[in-house]
Amino acid sequence: MTGAGQMRREHGMDKLIAALEKKSQEIRGTVLDMCINAGTGHVTSSLSATDILVTLFYGNILRHDPKNPTWAERDRLFISKGQASPLLYTILADRGYYDRADLKLFAQKKGRFGVHMQKTVPGAEITCGSLGQGFGLAAGSALAAQMNRDLYMVFSLLGDGECHEGSIWETAMFASHKRLNNLVAIIDRNYQCVTDFTENIVALEPLEERWASFGWNVKRINGHSHRELLDALTGYRSRRSTRPLVIIADTVKGNGVDFMSCVPLWHGIAPKDGEAARAREELKRRFSDG
Amino acid sequence: MANTTQRDAFWTRIYEMARQDRDIIVVSEDMGAPALDQFRTDLPGQFVNVGIAEQIGLLLGGGLAFEGKRPFIYAIAPFVTLRCLEQIRVTNAIMNIPVTLVGVGAGFGYEDSGPTHHLTEDIAVMRAFPNITVHSPADGVCARAIAEMSRTWPNTNYVRLDRKPMPEIYPPDADFSRGFSVLKSGRDGLIVSTGVMTHTALEVAGVLEKKGKQLGVVDVFQIPTQEDGLAAALKDAPRIFTVEEHFLPGGLGSYILEILNTRKMAIPVRRIGLDHAKGYCYQYGGREVVHEYYGVHPAGVQAAIESELR
Repeated sequence: MTGAGQMRREHGMDKLIAALEKKSQEIRGTVLDMCINAGTGHVTSSLSATDILVTLFYGNILRHDPKNPTWAERDRLFISKGQASPLLYTILADRGYYDRADLKLFAQKKGRFGVHMQKTVPGAEITCGSLGQGFGLAAGSALAAQMNRDLYMVFSLLGDGECHEGSIWETAMFASHKRLNNLVAIIDRNYQCVTDFTENIVALEPLEERWASFGWNVKRINGHSHRELLDALTGYRSRRSTRPLVIIADTVKGNGVDFMSCVPLWHGIAPKDGEAARAREELKRRFSDG
Repeated sequence: MANTTQRDAFWTRIYEMARQDRDIIVVSEDMGAPALDQFRTDLPGQFVNVGIAEQIGLLLGGGLAFEGKRPFIYAIAPFVTLRCLEQIRVTNAIMNIPVTLVGVGAGFGYEDSGPTHHLTEDIAVMRAFPNITVHSPADGVCARAIAEMSRTWPNTNYVRLDRKPMPEIYPPDADFSRGFSVLKSGRDGLIVSTGVMTHTALEVAGVLEKKGKQLGVVDVFQIPTQEDGLAAALKDAPRIFTVEEHFLPGGLGSYILEILNTRKMAIPVRRIGLDHAKGYCYQYGGREVVHEYYGVHPAGVQAAIESELR
């Protein structure tokens, strides 16, 4: 099918993608600044997942209301990799859940939030940081929706290293058995844990086959492509499948800051002094190059 | 006195309530009970079996509770508590998401199953957490009352149930609102006990009464209990004996010592329970054999008390 309608849609899509790219760049800058300011925070874990969460929050995917964070019909987002809290906090502030000024007090005295995600932050849903847990809670929420015939969708953002946890696979097995097709897992596949690359520690691949064998619909995409993210998530609310959906989003940990991005030991660390300036510079250069 | 099991008294009441309340959900970790068979048949939409998978059992229950359900997560006691302890810590203690953990076979309930199925550290472990209450009934009447309380319990509670039929201690209309109950008073001292050991406490108090010693019995079926009320009930006792089917560190005896210490009450306390020096028990032939190994059989408890009364 071609024609003016499709062209308009494509034009609209291009505009949306351009806007998402701009937003991702802005969010990355804020994440980096707040972690440098605090002297702590999981910078690289946040930068790998930025495009994923920006697509959810700004790509008309997630149904939510910043003025009413506990709105019963909202889509649930259970971030299971609670290390990405600087990212989520930045986005929630930007979307108006609370004042942007709160970000300046990240992990500091009288601040409202710290290094790992906490449920007391409006929009954060759960306390997380101990891995393998948010995903199981998400399955419980999805099951409750089925029991109550509620229409909200449940998203869960997983780390790939988190998939070493047995509880992830207990949940995966349960969710497909119960046909929780209202559950969408997105794996931030950045290939890195704290001390090494996942494939050197305990190999996760073939990850697609593993999830498929657990009864899930699997899509594997470039997790830094807003177009691919939008494609993968389009129609998620009306998928004609009884299976839960997992999107394996290949990403780069620390994406945007090259000197941090292929070094596992940058996990959980904010750059200081000269490295902070260099990180800001690299981020700026990377995205202004297009 | 009727012989019922705490387990079936508990689940029978849950079933009765669940028929009127669709938010009551049983999350079974491949664990049944005669009284649950009817639940599964009549209320299949409120019964979820996750299999032998305690982590998802706990987390699933947490997610259901997050959405307003009251899940009753059920397994053999060591597994529903210790196997997923860190999940309990994050979901139920830190996040304060309320569920009811139902463990059957606390203490030596599975007497001949060996130490993997004994559970003699649960009170110490679970009471270490804020936002979690331990319920430890002595009979079916109390277990039924705890089932009823659990539906609206504001935080998480862990109910440690026995699976063996035993005589009822409480009348059907007993008041369980205080978390403890003075079953018997006595001028020579008070025995404070929990769970099945309250039967031992009553038995020993009866034997000693015939020997001219008046010992009271206090059943503590909830930890933390109403502490001011319990302290008031203890304050005139010349000595206190705590009796538990649990290792001594952190258990009921420790709890009583903390209550006395906080209130600067100088009453001698003799804790009777499982000594770490005895380690774990690989002896078989019934609960009495295991109790005898640790010295918490009625004659052992009696001897310990008498040694202090001389």
